Parts: sequence; structure tokens; C-alpha cells
Amino acid sequence: MRRLFFIIAGLGVLLASPSPAFAKVNVFACSPEWAALSEEIGGDLVEVKSATNARQDVHHIRAKPSLLAAMRKADLVFCTGASLEIGWLPILIKKSGGPNVQPETIGWLMASDYVQKLEVMSNVDRSMGHIHPEGNPHIHLDPHNIATVADVLAERLMLLDEANAATYQQNLKSFQDRWAGLIAQWEADAASLKGRKIVVYHNAWAYLVEWLGLEVTATLEPKPGIPPTASHLETVLKQVQGKDVQAILVSPYEDEDAAEWLSDKSNIPVVHMPFTVGGNDKAGSLSALFDETLRLLKQGS
Amino acid sequence: MSKKLLLAASAAAILSASPAIAADDADLNALREEIRAMQSAYETKIRELENKVETLEAKQVRTDEKVAAVEPAAGRPAVPATSRRQVNDNSFNPEIGVILQGKYQGFSEDDGDIAGFAIGEEAERGTEGLSIDETELNFSANIDNLFRGNATIALHEREGEVEVEVEEAYVETTSLPHGLQAKAGRFFSELGYLNSHHSHADDFADRPLTNRAFLDGNYGDDGVQISAVLPTDFYSEIGGGAYRGNDFPGGGADGGEIGSWTAYGRVGGDIGDNTSWRLGASILQVSDAEREANEDMVVFNGDSGLYIADARVVYAPTGNNAEQELIFQGEYFHRDDDGTYDDMDAGTGPVAYDDSQSGWYAQGVYKFDPQWRAGVRYSQLYAGDVPTGLSGSALDDGGHDPWAAAAMVDWTNSEFSRARIQYNREELADGHEDNQIILQYVMSLGAHGAHAY
Repeated sequence: MRRLFFIIAGLGVLLASPSPAFAKVNVFACSPEWAALSEEIGGDLVEVKSATNARQDVHHIRAKPSLLAAMRKADLVFCTGASLEIGWLPILIKKSGGPNVQPETIGWLMASDYVQKLEVMSNVDRSMGHIHPEGNPHIHLDPHNIATVADVLAERLMLLDEANAATYQQNLKSFQDRWAGLIAQWEADAASLKGRKIVVYHNAWAYLVEWLGLEVTATLEPKPGIPPTASHLETVLKQVQGKDVQAILVSPYEDEDAAEWLSDKSNIPVVHMPFTVGGNDKAGSLSALFDETLRLLKQGS
Repeated sequence: MSKKLLLAASAAAILSASPAIAADDADLNALREEIRAMQSAYETKIRELENKVETLEAKQVRTDEKVAAVEPAAGRPAVPATSRRQVNDNSFNPEIGVILQGKYQGFSEDDGDIAGFAIGEEAERGTEGLSIDETELNFSANIDNLFRGNATIALHEREGEVEVEVEEAYVETTSLPHGLQAKAGRFFSELGYLNSHHSHADDFADRPLTNRAFLDGNYGDDGVQISAVLPTDFYSEIGGGAYRGNDFPGGGADGGEIGSWTAYGRVGGDIGDNTSWRLGASILQVSDAEREANEDMVVFNGDSGLYIADARVVYAPTGNNAEQELIFQGEYFHRDDDGTYDDMDAGTGPVAYDDSQSGWYAQGVYKFDPQWRAGVRYSQLYAGDVPTGLSGSALDDGGHDPWAAAAMVDWTNSEFSRARIQYNREELADGHEDNQIILQYVMSLGAHGAHAY
């Protein structure tokens, strides 16, 4: 009994101890693209932790101990939302997230809440596979979405760290100026890709497809989140034959066996896309991610 | 502008219908013709304008939404305009989940008594043959901005009787500062690794011998628990709880006493991108318990302390758990019992007992394909020395240390469905060689919360 009182007293002391004033805003980013955007807008004023790297499937990582420790320090939780991180983020938030990073607070930024989502479904059933009723969550491969989210991020950083609001504003402006120029360049560059037919592993490319006017001929997964099966691949093979499909897109975290099989049978090249920042050696920043994405798409033809 | 046009159009319509104009037929016809022409011209114009207005209005709504989302009004936090979402009457209903489990079990031995241990109901082998095992109903929801509630009701059948068990019914805080979290109600305490997990999330069809013998599956009691994730760069957490002391290894709690308490500490972290780990130590202390075991035929009265060390390492190439994963996990248990044991079957009467028992298990599970996993587990128990008064009783291990080995393969179609085949070899008593085969499915309907590490 006495030991129990010591524990409670100890926790009381811990609770009463003032939190140290933070020099930097701690950003807990769920994936590398949001970590990179945080660094663009926050610069030296933010300390960014990315919960995943480009070779990890954000749907399926574990609520690991290191992430609990990172969440405890977070001033801003910057993720995709639309249930993408539902398998692990709620546990971290509940267990070690403070009052300022709870849903609907300033420290809770779900990027997909601010963009027009594709594939929003009103009637869903789990027989349809791992689908997100809120819409397709993989919003980051349309650079217009990045620009929209950058505005919201700057807004939040200004609210969280008022003393440095002017710097965030300035960073945002220089980012947006540069980004608008890049978008114009990319769109001019990608005009020839319009109508290009591709095969994807998972419908993680919907926003890129929409942006560039590509056409998805087939998906290797029979249903979202269900790995490719032999019978489904046979169907896909029939779907792509004689269709002038130019590429099979695979992200760094997806198993490439199915893509290689289809490539062997159909002579359509497998294109290893970076998918997010850090997804290949050259895609080290957000702008490099789009440079690489376009370069690989054009090269794949 | 469209209003003016509408007025003009209606005026024209009234004029055209008015019979009171006295003029000659030709004039009248010409006038009528003119008015009809005017009318149709205006109608076209109005239709065009109406269309324009509609488009503009639609655009305005979209812009409004964008503005509301991107630029918060002064004094309002920059959170999404959720109020625009449709709210149905059932929007605040709790998340409801049902876990369906079915099993076929085949045993080569008739009984599954564990030599040297008096065990609770949940520690027994389960029903032989086909059964629906345990059906779990789970309800959970945020209560408000501070609390979350969770109730898990388990239905199972034992010897023809349907039992309804409140496995868990608790409230917990969701947003305390400084990494703190508090829980109150009935819940599976943080003790070692497996105890706080529901069996449907286990990697094997049954629990290891240690968790069966020392915790009767799960220790879940009525009480409060508080935990704190500490402000260290690596993960560290401490916590503890105070309970009624009514669940195994406690029992017979009455009066206002706190019958048991727990305390635990944990550390963890990553090694590179591929590996994560966690180490923990926990205590469960039970005072003045009246622990009934072996179908109420063996009763322990006294104090009992349980000490657990646990370790878990998860390796995944590039940290991508979706494709491949290797999990090693183990726990060590040590229990001190100080009091009296009474084995009514053996007619020992209450006999003073002050000794300890221990045990451990270790397991490895390999996910070699996104949908397939294989695993092996070994568990071992060591009973204490018995005083002469208890020789020949259930507490006498007869010189045999019980052990069990298990091998399983499971298939996971989605995160909501899993089927498993498992083979067990259990030598729980001298001369006892039980070969078991278990076929199992675990499926979940509806809401299914995220699983902890």
C-alpha cells in the first residue's frame, strides 16, 4: 500500500512540474511529404519528426514505442487524415498526445480536410476492401493540393508560435511564389502525358492521375488493401492487352512481384516511382519529388 | 437585375391577358404579336440569367467552403468547417464492434490439469470439438472532449450454460497533458505484455501456460490506473493502479479495502529503421485474497505478489510491417504466495504455504507474406516445493515441470479476418502427453479499434 502512495505522489510531482518553454515547434508528421512541407514553411523554427519513411506503408505501421515518445513532445500533429493513419495514430494520441494536439484543435492538422477529395463514397461496405469513405486519402501527388495545405500549415504555425508569425508568412510567400512557377513548368512539361494509360498497384495515384489527365487501365490489387491474386492478375493481363498501356507504377513500399509478373507477360515496363519525398535517391525534396515523378512517367514510355 | 426582368415579364403577361383594350382587330393583333415576341424574348433572357445565377451561387458556396477551411475568421481556431458535414441522428452512436471466433479443438489426453498449480476457469483448455468459443461485443465512443468510454461484453458457453461476462467497462482520459493518462472502471491492467491485450489480437489460438496459470488469461479488475509517458527522447513510461482485488490471482474481496495494486515501468525505442523494441517490468500485489481455483476445490488464503519481466522486438525490412515482419516476444513470471492452501479434493485442510512459483514463455512469429504468418512458442512452469501437508494435492507437481510447445500458421485476408491452424504438444503432468490440434477463425464486424504495439 505504501508503495502505491509513493507512485501516486511521484506522478503528482510530475504533473505539477512546469513544461519547459519550447524553443522550437515540434511537428509530428505522419509521412515524409508533410515532414518536408513543414520544413519548407517552418525552416529552422520547427523540429520535425516523420513517423514513417518512403519505404513504409502509412496504412500499416505499428504504434511503436518511439512514436509514443515523439507524440508526447508534439505541438502540431500533421497527417493526411481521411482514415489513412487510423490503424495507429489514435493510439498515440490517446496515450501520449497532449490537450493541444487533439482532434479539432489548432495542433491537429489533417491535410485531406482542406482539399477536394476524389472517390468520396456514400455507401460503403467492407466487402469493397480497405476503402476510405471520406475519399481517397493519397492527396499529395497533386501539387495544387500541396499549395492549399501549405496555406493552412502556415496559418497553424503562426497561431502556435506567434512571435515568429512574420517569418512563417514570409516563408509561405516565397514557397508559394516558387511553387506556382514550378506548377506552371510541370504542367507545360507534362502536357504530352495527357491520356497516357497506366497500371497501378493500389489506387494511391488518383490525384496524380487526375492532375495530369492519365488513365488507369487496371489495378493490381483486386480490391483496395487486398494483395494481388493469381486469378486477378490474369484478368488484369486481359485488360491491358492491346491497350497501349505505357507503365506499371509501383511505389517503394509495395511488393513488386505482381508488377514484375505482369511486365513479363505484357512487356509493359515497371516504373519504380518515388511516391513521396525520399522515395528514391533524387526525390529529396517536394519539388524534386514532382521532378522525378514527371521524369519517370515520361521515361517509362 | 433578374428581379426587374421578372417584373417586366409579368407586366407583359398581365397586359397580354387584359381584355379591356378597345381598338380595332388589326391593331389588337399587331399589339398581341408584339407582346408575345417580347414575352418570349424576356423568357429566354430570364432562363439564361437564372442559369447564370445558379452557377455563380454554386461557385460562391465552393469558395465559401474553401475560405472557411483555409482562412479562419478572427478568434476562431483554424479547424475544418466540420459543421457543414451532414449530421444524422445516429452520428453520436458509439462505435460498435463484434468479434466472432470459432474453434475446433482436438486433444489426445482426457484432462488438462497442470501439475503443481491450482488454476482458474479461463486457464483450462477450452471445449473439445467445434465451438463458437467467445463472442465479444465492443462499444466505444468519445464521451466528451476529455473522456472516452469502452465496454467489452463477452459471451461464452461453459458446460451448456451461456455466460455473460463484463470483460471490460471503463472510462479513460484522452487528452491529459505531460503524457498522462488515467483509466477507471474494469479493464485489463498493464502487466507484462499480453495481459492488457484481448485474446482476439493474440498470435496464437491460446495463451501461454504462464498467462493461464498466473493470470487466468487476463487480470481484469475493478479499479483505477494512471500512467505517464516520460519526457525522454527514447520511450519510457511508468504507471500503476489500485483495484478491488476480486479477479484471479485475487478473489473474495469484500469491505472497503484495496485488495490489490499494480505498478509497471517500460522503456523502448528503435534500432535503425528496421527494428523496434520494448522492455518492461511489472508487479501485481494481492492482499488478503481468497483465491478459488481448480473448480473451487482448491482455495488459497493470504498475500500474493506477482513479478513480471517482458520483452518484445519487432523487425521488418525497411520498417514496412505490411509486407514482412518478424516478432520476438517473451515474458518471465515469478509469484510469491504467503498464506494457506486448502485442497478439498485431496482433503488436505488449510496448510500453511510460503513459497514461490515461476515460469516463462518465448515466441517468434514470422510474417513471410502480407497475408501469411507462421509462429512457434514454448512455455514452461516451475511449481514451488510443497510442505508435507500438501503432498499428493494439486499443488504437488510430482517432480514434473509442466511445459507446452505450440506451432501455428495463420492467414489474414484483411485486418478484419484471420484463420489459423495450430498444433500443441503439452506435457503438463508426469506421464501426460497431450497432442492438440486447433483450427480457429477470428473475425471482426463493424468498428475495430487500432491495436497497440
